[in-house]
Amino acid sequence: MDSPIREQRRRRPRPRTGEGGRRLHSAGSAIVVSLAGLALAVLLNAPGLHKSATIQPEGWKRDVALDVTGPLESLSGALLLDRPRHALKSALGRSHDDDVDTAVATTTTPVGAPVSAPATPPERTRFTPKRKLGVYIAGDSLVVVPGESLLRATAGNRAIAPEPIDGRIATGLERPDVFNWFTHIEDVMRKDKPRAVVLMFGGNDDHNFMTGVPEGRQVGTFGSPSWRAEYRRRVATVMETVTRNGAYLVWIGLPISRDSEQTKRFDVMNTIVQSEAAKRPGRVSYLDTYFFFAGGDGGYAQYVEDSAGKLVKMRADDGVHFERPAGDLIAAKVLERLEDRYDLTSWRRG
Amino acid sequence: MLFPTATFAIFFMLVLPLSWLLQPRGERWRPFIIAASFVFYAAWDWKFCLLLAFSIVWNYALGLGIHRSGDPRHRHVLLVLALVGNLGVLGYFKYYDFFVTSTHNLFALVGLDVPLDTRSIVLPVGISFFTFMGIAYVVDVYRRDFAPVGFGTFAAYLSFFPHLVAGPIVRPGELIPQLSTPRDPRYVDTSRAFFLIGTGLFMKVVIANHLAAHIVDQVFGAPNQHSSLEVLVGIYAYAVQIYADFFGYTNIAIGIALLLGFAFPQNFDAPYSATSITDFWRRWHMTLSRWLRDYLYIPLGGNRGGSLATYRNLMLTMLIGGLWHGAGWTFVVWGGIHGTALVAERWWRGRPSFVERPWTPGRRAWHRFVTFQVVCFAWVFFRADSFADARSLIERLFTAWGEPSPLVTWGVLAAIAVGIGSQYLPRRLPLAIMARFSRLPVPAQATVLALGLLVIHAMGPEGVAPFIYFRF
Repeated sequence: MDSPIREQRRRRPRPRTGEGGRRLHSAGSAIVVSLAGLALAVLLNAPGLHKSATIQPEGWKRDVALDVTGPLESLSGALLLDRPRHALKSALGRSHDDDVDTAVATTTTPVGAPVSAPATPPERTRFTPKRKLGVYIAGDSLVVVPGESLLRATAGNRAIAPEPIDGRIATGLERPDVFNWFTHIEDVMRKDKPRAVVLMFGGNDDHNFMTGVPEGRQVGTFGSPSWRAEYRRRVATVMETVTRNGAYLVWIGLPISRDSEQTKRFDVMNTIVQSEAAKRPGRVSYLDTYFFFAGGDGGYAQYVEDSAGKLVKMRADDGVHFERPAGDLIAAKVLERLEDRYDLTSWRRG
Repeated sequence: MLFPTATFAIFFMLVLPLSWLLQPRGERWRPFIIAASFVFYAAWDWKFCLLLAFSIVWNYALGLGIHRSGDPRHRHVLLVLALVGNLGVLGYFKYYDFFVTSTHNLFALVGLDVPLDTRSIVLPVGISFFTFMGIAYVVDVYRRDFAPVGFGTFAAYLSFFPHLVAGPIVRPGELIPQLSTPRDPRYVDTSRAFFLIGTGLFMKVVIANHLAAHIVDQVFGAPNQHSSLEVLVGIYAYAVQIYADFFGYTNIAIGIALLLGFAFPQNFDAPYSATSITDFWRRWHMTLSRWLRDYLYIPLGGNRGGSLATYRNLMLTMLIGGLWHGAGWTFVVWGGIHGTALVAERWWRGRPSFVERPWTPGRRAWHRFVTFQVVCFAWVFFRADSFADARSLIERLFTAWGEPSPLVTWGVLAAIAVGIGSQYLPRRLPLAIMARFSRLPVPAQATVLALGLLVIHAMGPEGVAPFIYFRF
């Protein structure tokens, strides 16, 4: 008995060309070109693929990806097939895109040691349109919405000059290989010299896997004493980097999450940040956001009634990120902290 | 599982040869492609698969019932049941919280506190697309435009992974006959497939992502921090971003389907070269436009009831089309702007004194310019999170000229120029490129493909942002 394909072939011969005179090819050719093209593309892009594998979340997928892309990167290098990518990246001014940097600068303050607090509260420095307060807003994706709200809230105040929001998705303090905030913040503080910094981290840090751990040190699972000690060291490092030259840091705490287990993990990080901030009065302020978004029963609420009785969507559908009204609420609190520390309005009175 | 990822590349490299291997035997191929599509969909959340399975079973069973019934009333009842099921599921997952909050806030305006519970429902990816395809199937069966097919073929039609999460919205008559007949492995339009995949990846990974990261998100996030020039360029950039994003996705989907031997309908035809809003809707998301026409506008009465009824039907279609895009009043306003423009154009052309003048280059350019401005104005509401944001953006457009504009870089302008310029390329150019590519030997084709992927991967940012239309 003839197969349907054979019958079809006998019935109506099809033209071998498509619109514009292009040749039609066999399915075998489609498969060969696809496979060969992808294989060559993998070799040409091997350094980038290896980096993508490296910065994946911990797990078997990452292990497999590393096992595959590691040798491919070596092969690509040996065959000089990585050169075109390097040349392209260089031409685009992004030569370091494929580098993996896991260095975590050592904090100048020993972990756990009390940090000297100023004897008297720091003077409330005055800023004016001529001498503006530079504000740097950074963190993981959670900082973006409150950051935008802060930008909108400060737009009318010419004494404040915020930088564009430096929010980077899927980053944090646990994985400097994904994005090295330690060196990045150091660079920003050195180059731009902002006097106020607003940070929010931790949304991607509630995992077991840490990179950039000093040689010889073992870090246990999330929440273990060794994990807490290492995370504390990183939080302290960031706080010291920011405040070393007199900048004021507002650190936004993690909010309640729809997932109660995640909320518990967030609490672990909030506790560390809060205690480190408490060691640096006048230099670091911790903004607790937990109760801003709790419902009437104290649990997670996606919608909250505002003062006019209107139901307002505070949290995004993923149960973690913020909607605009939540951002506005956080921004108002951040602005209060900045105004406590700096005189940002007296210039208006002349 | 996003198209421009290594995971999808591995998935597809397994599916492609297996699909061709099993093609000659439909009874083996269909379970395979259904399973592959469910694996693809489960990559977002396996629980969504239950919803897809429900949609398949529901529409298939009711389609069959409608077909078998000879009683017009019974057929009508079954059709209504099918629509209620489809729209009920869509309404629950997509609009429940929207209607609850809207109702609550309406009562709050007059001082009444109505206790209504929101549910924080997670929107399943692609629900709007496969719901519309399910509706198209039962309505076509009801109209006797289409006879029901076997369960496997229907399940493959609704779940076929290239169109599953963001279209194009393929009619039963376009895809089901293809799914019912083995594809001929001797004639695959590979050059068109690779061209579509390559241009789609470039538009998404390079153009759309660049504009989103370098100007759009910042301008729409805090308009009052930006100069008028930045706001203006930001609005144009969003117009290009959403086009590049969705056009890119559609191109990849059509290209992937072509490699598997299936032809999908075109979804875009240079929409920013449109000379009117009517023309724009013939070119933008064409498969949605014709769905709205065939399954909403015409059932509402279309243009059969006089001018006023036509205007009403046009406006209703666009308002519902706006709401389809998202559960928010800003989307309704977006639809309303387009509806108003369509009504105005129809009124203008319907005047007794109207005379169709010949298209001179100057007149055509002016019409294109005005149409693009109207489309961009409507995009402001589509992208803005709230009316306050949209208002702030529009105000800023007129009140901050002369301020520094650091976001308006050569890179941003080049990306906008590529996005808009690509729509004015002569049609013979892509045809010539595809023809030239198709005549290359296989190793050369593979090399060109690899070099294209090298450029796109190197120029794109780390990671890939989700496609905008996934959320609809």
